[in-house]
Amino acid sequence: MTVSKFKGAFAALMLSAAAVPALAEDVNIVVWAGGSNDADAYRITAIELAADMLEREAAIEGRELNITVEGKRDFGGWEEFKQGVTLAAEAGTAPNIVVTSHLDIAPWSQAGYIVPTEDYLDFDAWPLNDIYPNLLEIAAYNGIQWGIPQDAESRPFFFWKDTMRGIGYSDADIAALPAKIEAGEYTLQNVLEDAKKAVEMGLVEEGYGFYPRPSNGPDYAQFYQSFGGVLQDPETGKLVLDKAAMEAFYQFFADAVDAGITRKNHLGTDWGQWYSEVANGKAATWHGGTWHYARYTGKEGNEDFFGTIEFGLIPAGNDNGRANTITHPLVYLVTDQQNDDHEDIAAQLVKIASEPRMNSLHAIQSAHLGISKQQSNIEIYSNDRWASEATERLLGTANAQPNNLDYGAFSEAMFKGLEAAWTGVKSPADAVTELESELTAKLGDNLIVK
Amino acid sequence: MPRFNALGFGFLAPALIVVALFFLAPVILTVFFAFTNMSTSTGITGGDYLLSQSDLRGVKASGVSDETYDALENAGYLVDDAGLARLAEARDQATADELAALHSGAKFDARRDMERALKDLRDNRIRSTRDRKALAELFKTSVMDERFGSEAAFRTALDGVGIPQADQDILVKEAYTGWVWTTENMKLLFSLDSSYRYAMNTVIYVTLTLGFNVGFGLFLAISTFYLSPGMAATFRTIWFLPRILPPVLYVLMWKWFTWDTGFLATITGYLGIAPRNWMLDTATNAWVVVILINGFVGASLGMILFSSAIKAIPSSMLYASEVDGANRWQQVRYIILPQLRWPILFTTSYQTLSLLTSFEYILLSTDGGPGRATEVWALAAYHTALNNYGGNLQYGFGAAYALILVIIGIAASLLYLRFFNFKELVTKPRIEG
Repeated sequence: MTVSKFKGAFAALMLSAAAVPALAEDVNIVVWAGGSNDADAYRITAIELAADMLEREAAIEGRELNITVEGKRDFGGWEEFKQGVTLAAEAGTAPNIVVTSHLDIAPWSQAGYIVPTEDYLDFDAWPLNDIYPNLLEIAAYNGIQWGIPQDAESRPFFFWKDTMRGIGYSDADIAALPAKIEAGEYTLQNVLEDAKKAVEMGLVEEGYGFYPRPSNGPDYAQFYQSFGGVLQDPETGKLVLDKAAMEAFYQFFADAVDAGITRKNHLGTDWGQWYSEVANGKAATWHGGTWHYARYTGKEGNEDFFGTIEFGLIPAGNDNGRANTITHPLVYLVTDQQNDDHEDIAAQLVKIASEPRMNSLHAIQSAHLGISKQQSNIEIYSNDRWASEATERLLGTANAQPNNLDYGAFSEAMFKGLEAAWTGVKSPADAVTELESELTAKLGDNLIVK
Repeated sequence: MPRFNALGFGFLAPALIVVALFFLAPVILTVFFAFTNMSTSTGITGGDYLLSQSDLRGVKASGVSDETYDALENAGYLVDDAGLARLAEARDQATADELAALHSGAKFDARRDMERALKDLRDNRIRSTRDRKALAELFKTSVMDERFGSEAAFRTALDGVGIPQADQDILVKEAYTGWVWTTENMKLLFSLDSSYRYAMNTVIYVTLTLGFNVGFGLFLAISTFYLSPGMAATFRTIWFLPRILPPVLYVLMWKWFTWDTGFLATITGYLGIAPRNWMLDTATNAWVVVILINGFVGASLGMILFSSAIKAIPSSMLYASEVDGANRWQQVRYIILPQLRWPILFTTSYQTLSLLTSFEYILLSTDGGPGRATEVWALAAYHTALNNYGGNLQYGFGAAYALILVIIGIAASLLYLRFFNFKELVTKPRIEG
């Protein structure tokens, strides 16, 4: 339901509230979760559990409410999922609840596919008042709370401890790395040097000194920030192209290729191969996400994560930049439906699924981070070393990509420029020049170039 | 005497439906989309009227009066007599009186603050969250963040908050969330450097792949012609495999073949060449692989067409040439090739058109990489319209890319029809005339 319909719906609402019907109500709630594999099953299961709770609450109030939850998460990929949601919404058959990237909030809210969760939920009340404010902020757009964060994560930089020992680090040095990174004392230039040593000493193969993510994703914006880049101007809400930072960021990857520590054709490496290699020490340094923990220790069989891997923020690139990490929470969104009562039920389900205990099931099973403060008082969460250490070391400094209608175009163009510089098709300076002309033409007034 | 034949029409109907659905409709939609600013955020089926915070930036730049801008920016929730009267009507007088006692005259920027004010009620508690939210709306003085289904409803709301008519026209334009007609896509397309590069890539791709298709198809047809029938059939079947393999599997095999740990790198490794990814190492590598992947698929079609055309050559001509002492090359040069003129022209024209719009093998293999070196026009259209990590797909701009292809395709088809003298091909045989 949209805000404007409130007044109109008001009288009817009052009437229905006065005379609660004793009829049984059958509601079918469809949940689609994008980018979710087996470990993320609780994105849907939590809604099923919440439905059970809501039915019981209704029963006690004397209403018979039967909620059937239909979940779907076997999409071919993010593109297929997003196309599916938008086309279904256009056809008026959108799923009631979607779990998706927070970046979809801007276009989907503008298109009217989703309704604000704040139309139905009290964010001053439990459990929503316990969610970290910075995460809630990421699920808001234009001052409206559209969604509820479903999980949190961040994207750390990883070191393989054995390799670091091999190039002369003591255990104490390695343990001090995260703090040195945060203080800006260990930078991406040090990464280049250490990775080069590891390659030259034969500890890792050529191209495995620094082993980045093989496809586009929020991760690369971190390196732009490492060199002082800012994604969005806080004053005007416009996107920002900082040419010097962008060029330094491109140059870093070009240098890594020149030094032989990163493969020239690294982008496009199969994800399965990539996971298996980094989880078993084939790479000296790399970057990934907090949820990788589940994959490394599960499917890839690394039984001693803390003994073999050290992690910290993405190091600063130069004096202009800072050590940073991006969190890219998925959010629960409630879609626009003909029947406002179904929107209400969907919103209630999402609220119940955000209870600390419920969310902890997902957080621990999928190695994501929690969304609310009280999760540190839930034993399954607090007993998990990864969740508590990663929350402490990373989440405090994490920022998110901006919810902005043009951010998709910005991010695609930035990555294409990186790819051109990385593979040597263009020099970093030329790649930035082309990026500038492309973004200026496409974004126009919504871009600040500096 | 030509007359309407219902049976004939009936037989044609499925074909007509297919042509209309899968050719005409997409072409018409492409033309239509290309002149809109349609994207995920505008939706496809139309829009509403919504002023949000980010629209205010545009509003400020659009020249509305300062009063209007302030009215929009600073409006919020006001506990005034009118609002209290609405509350009394919707709930009861006691609730309105209690709220008046607590907050009369109060002004809140955000809905949440208004809801908190309603929570302060003690004697007349509003317990249900949904009710409280609905009641908070009774005090709204702003048109911001409300979605209006029609322009009339939006204008009524603007009248309600006292926005003058002149400013309303600007606001209506700014607030519309749906798509609008525009020629900006075309302007943008011709102003981007990348467009020229994609056009160049497409020329390279079509020319080289076509050359390979026809040349290799011809080579296969002629060489298998001179083999024994059993052997010829075996070879033709083998070369037909790329076409009948599912594209994903076919390209996957190419990936295994060219990866830096793949077959090719292992073999060249024995020769002392450092292992590399033969598909993505340089732009040249990528082009060679893209052309071979597409070329082997296309060559098999040429092979079949040319083989059957060669078989249609009267064998007496070939025997006669052998009697005259012609060698194989002379047979090919002076007998076979001249007879293949029409099949070659047909294959060339047909494949030009299909290559212009085909991108599936490139998408699966290099995805336009490295660094957009193999991004062809059709792939750029796909990437723009249907592939975006940030979520806002540019349907309109992507269609503008596609429209250029449609125009080139239609122009080329007309040219080919003229070239082939289509009229002559379909004239009635003299014998019946």
